[in-house]
Amino acid sequence: MALLEGRGLSMAFGGLLALRGVDIAIEEHQVVGLLGPNGSGKTTLFNILSGLLRPTAGEVWFSGCRVTNLAPWRLSGLGVGRTFQIARPFAHSTVLDNVLVGITFRSRHRYRRTLDRRREAERLLATVGLAEKAPARATELSLGERKRLELAMALSTRPTVLLLDELASGLSPKGREEVVRFYGRLKERGLTIFAIEHAFRILAHVADRLVVLDQGTIVAEGRPEQVLGSPRVVQAYLGDDDGP
Amino acid sequence: MRRGAWIGIGLVAVMLLVLPPLTGFHPYYLYLVSTALLFGTVATSWNLLAYAGQISFGHAAFFGLGGYGAALASLAGSSPWLAILLGGAVGAVGAAGIGLASARLRGAYLALATLAYAEIWRGVAHNWTAVSGGGAGLIGIPPLPTLAWLPLDFTRGRAGGYYLSLAFLLLVIAVFWGILRSRLGLAFAAVREEEERAGLLGVHPLPWKILAFALSGFFSALAGGLYVHMVRVVEPDLIFSRYFSILPLVMATFGGLHTLLGPAAAALGLYLVSELLLHPYVPAFHQLPYALALIVVVLYLPGGLAGLFPSPRPSPPSPLSSPPVGERAGGGGRHGAA
Repeated sequence: MALLEGRGLSMAFGGLLALRGVDIAIEEHQVVGLLGPNGSGKTTLFNILSGLLRPTAGEVWFSGCRVTNLAPWRLSGLGVGRTFQIARPFAHSTVLDNVLVGITFRSRHRYRRTLDRRREAERLLATVGLAEKAPARATELSLGERKRLELAMALSTRPTVLLLDELASGLSPKGREEVVRFYGRLKERGLTIFAIEHAFRILAHVADRLVVLDQGTIVAEGRPEQVLGSPRVVQAYLGDDDGP
Repeated sequence: MRRGAWIGIGLVAVMLLVLPPLTGFHPYYLYLVSTALLFGTVATSWNLLAYAGQISFGHAAFFGLGGYGAALASLAGSSPWLAILLGGAVGAVGAAGIGLASARLRGAYLALATLAYAEIWRGVAHNWTAVSGGGAGLIGIPPLPTLAWLPLDFTRGRAGGYYLSLAFLLLVIAVFWGILRSRLGLAFAAVREEEERAGLLGVHPLPWKILAFALSGFFSALAGGLYVHMVRVVEPDLIFSRYFSILPLVMATFGGLHTLLGPAAAALGLYLVSELLLHPYVPAFHQLPYALALIVVVLYLPGGLAGLFPSPRPSPPSPLSSPPVGERAGGGGRHGAA
């Protein structure tokens, strides 16, 4: 059974159709990559799946329940976590507080004691390599550090499925590779990953499946080598300037 | 500055503030300092709401609701102490109401909605003559009673109002201090900094915003209720005046947005300079300090007065992010291992 599913999702912004009847199913414990040119509707799809947007038509299912139009905090409570392409931390709060929000207000696995919450926050920051930055303000972080904080914040609610929006973009080639390899480790820890990435050749190494979106419809999906092997996909939607 | 230094300065300030009634200050000056303390209370309440990201231009509504609520209760025969508390509750409900009604508004739109809210209440007070006394207001509000179990000096004449004003200011500061150290402060800051993100992390923003409004409204209304028992009249144009909306905003911004003590310090400083120095000599310009304070903040002091004190963390730290010293030493080892 699919963990997270979109059925016939359409989204219209006025006259602009951002999504046209997208059917997508993310199986449990898989890493699924979402590719597509700018404006193809990738982030819109994420916004619907995480509850920030209500689809014009279609349904969202999570773990066998219909969750269309549920508020973000409800979806987060069920186990959906996400990051943003442009980091959106609590800018003037400390890095530790940024992570503590999710740990404190999630509805599952709540700790009663402040100390337990702080320990988990420190552990989480250590996982993404930000332990030393805990007392710094989010505004003081470098781009790479902000990306790490994005991931730590998304993990702070203990999600079962993670929607990662271009977590590796803007990083150095080496940084990108590190981030994408990290997806593999998250998968080993039992998470399900749905990731938008432009570094698709790296993504192909860890992804179980790739989905290609263009102009609001899915134009290709399947195992990475199948999708990337299709010359139509590479030339029309991906270009070839992003390989390692 | 070190924490100990702050505590020392705070204690000295409180001791200085306890002195005036005991040293035979003229009642008029006692009244002025009491009013300054009440402005400090409203400015701190305003700042508490701003900490949750909600900028109000209408705190006169909460101050006035507290004033009218307390006045009506007192005139109906309730004890002034209970009446002031009731006024606080009325203000809290009124504030929660505008918080709910303007749930979808932010920034300038919220500011305009709150400004209008205060004006609406002024209109209501003007026209609902049967209850509010209309434009003439209500007179004959009883003074604060003296308390037999306290030395007379503490409650006689203006001293009672003075000490109660001081107590309210200390109370709101203590509550804000507690909030900064709790889950409440974490939620408020999250809603303020990135409301949508807060939602994704399990924080449903609306209840927290309404709670911030209610708390801020409650303390502003306590100040309003006490104020009407000090001046012993209440009129729409006096108590719903834009003065009580704009000054707390200016004071809090000048003192340092989101800081614990800045707004109260700025309220005392600005109000007393205006009333003691400028009003007697250049009455036409006595409101000048507020304008100058705003200009100074915009041009030179974005962090307000609090920004003058170098501190590793410019805005109020949450203890959640600053483990005790012993903890930190232990944490260092963990970080090293990571």
